[in-house]
Amino acid sequence: MLEVKNLRCSYGTNQVLKDINFRVDKGEVIAIVGSSGSGKTTLLRSISFLHKADGGTIRFLDFEKDITRLKGSEIRRLRMRLGYVFQNFNLFRNMTVRQNVMEGLVTARHMDRAEAEKITDAVLEKVDMLERADYYPDQLSGGQQQRAAIARSIAFRPDVLLLDEPTSSLDPELTREVLNILTQLAADGITMVVVTHEMGFARNVANRVIFMEGGVVVEDAPAAEFFNHPKQEATKRFLRTVTDDCG
Amino acid sequence: MSERLWEILASSLPNLLLYCVKVTIPLTACIYALSLVLAFLLALVQVLNIRFLSGAARIYVWIFRGTPLIVQMYIIFFGLPSVGITLNAFPSAVIAFSLNYAAYMSETIRASIQAVPVGQTEAGYMIGLNYFQIMTRIVLPQAAKIAFPTLFGSLIGLTKDSSLAASITVVEMFKAAQQIAARTFEPLALYCEAALIYLMLNTALTLLQRYLEKRLSWKQPLTE
Repeated sequence: MLEVKNLRCSYGTNQVLKDINFRVDKGEVIAIVGSSGSGKTTLLRSISFLHKADGGTIRFLDFEKDITRLKGSEIRRLRMRLGYVFQNFNLFRNMTVRQNVMEGLVTARHMDRAEAEKITDAVLEKVDMLERADYYPDQLSGGQQQRAAIARSIAFRPDVLLLDEPTSSLDPELTREVLNILTQLAADGITMVVVTHEMGFARNVANRVIFMEGGVVVEDAPAAEFFNHPKQEATKRFLRTVTDDCG
Repeated sequence: MSERLWEILASSLPNLLLYCVKVTIPLTACIYALSLVLAFLLALVQVLNIRFLSGAARIYVWIFRGTPLIVQMYIIFFGLPSVGITLNAFPSAVIAFSLNYAAYMSETIRASIQAVPVGQTEAGYMIGLNYFQIMTRIVLPQAAKIAFPTLFGSLIGLTKDSSLAASITVVEMFKAAQQIAARTFEPLALYCEAALIYLMLNTALTLLQRYLEKRLSWKQPLTE
């Protein structure tokens, strides 16, 4: 469904992604794990063209192209089919939750208002935010904001939902709120790529886990295999640190 | 206070108010409207980083913020006639003030636009909006809220500064007070009277600002 090959990306002279190959199939839930600075977030950002890649090819929708040669219209078309959930939510602060969700439907996709409202109500119901539909982001807790942001990015039924550390700025209780929603979305068959530090979520919900270190994919395996029989030394080391952290 | 002084104050009050309504307020309104438009354009070409225009805008701000307003007024009103451009006092004041205020206000607007977190723009792109939609629906409304108190402060400043137009013969409220003071030999009373009218005017504007800030802004965090 979405595939990138030989993706390279850098910040100045610092090469953050070195020849990444990565592929998502329909209905898959992929967890990308790794320590901070391993390039996880940059991977999502360069797929969505929020950060310009240095090279590589991208296959998505009906095209397969050099990622540096996409036209503005192609980037926009690609973004129309990608949902993106940010670590710090990025809800539009001048709009209510409902307006945040409607914006992508009415303004970007010219959907009929009544129909957009119906969809908005449905997705807000799904993330349990319908009651707070007329609140502004600043009036909501982090967990509520993130749930609203998830509603905003699934409203237009993206082919792939990219989530960049969706729970990293939330405390444990709010993290659970959001993870429950994501688990439910996975059960609904929504294709997701989640950058996360939540190993429990990766183990229980993801089909596949990708471990990144120093800008390369070290291991890419089905979740059960990844946690029970990791092949690479670096993965074992990482899993030991993470489980130690959990006590 | 002597009876004569009361009489002078009472008889000059309607006169001063008349000049306030007929000249000071229209002068301020014209300047403010023009400088707001110009400031917005100056800020926009810098934010959009339009080649040449962006640099030109920076040079403009450098010059008009770096030289005194009264000198700019003198150049336009007393200086330009020597190269064949003769303007009346009122338009000269409007032009000089607008050019000067726009330089300051464009910095306020530019900074406010840039103060909107980049995440707002990124989120806009990721739900499928184009740059124009992101600017008009997300960035500019948020920037307006940030800029509003400072821009309104400029309006209050301008109301007072408009008295500088007296120096190039515009008969506005302060100039009218000057003339009455010269006639009656009561400068202290007359200038205090004029000051009081400016104070009233700006009190009204301050109240208006508070009202508008409440009306125009979206809701604040409940914890604040």
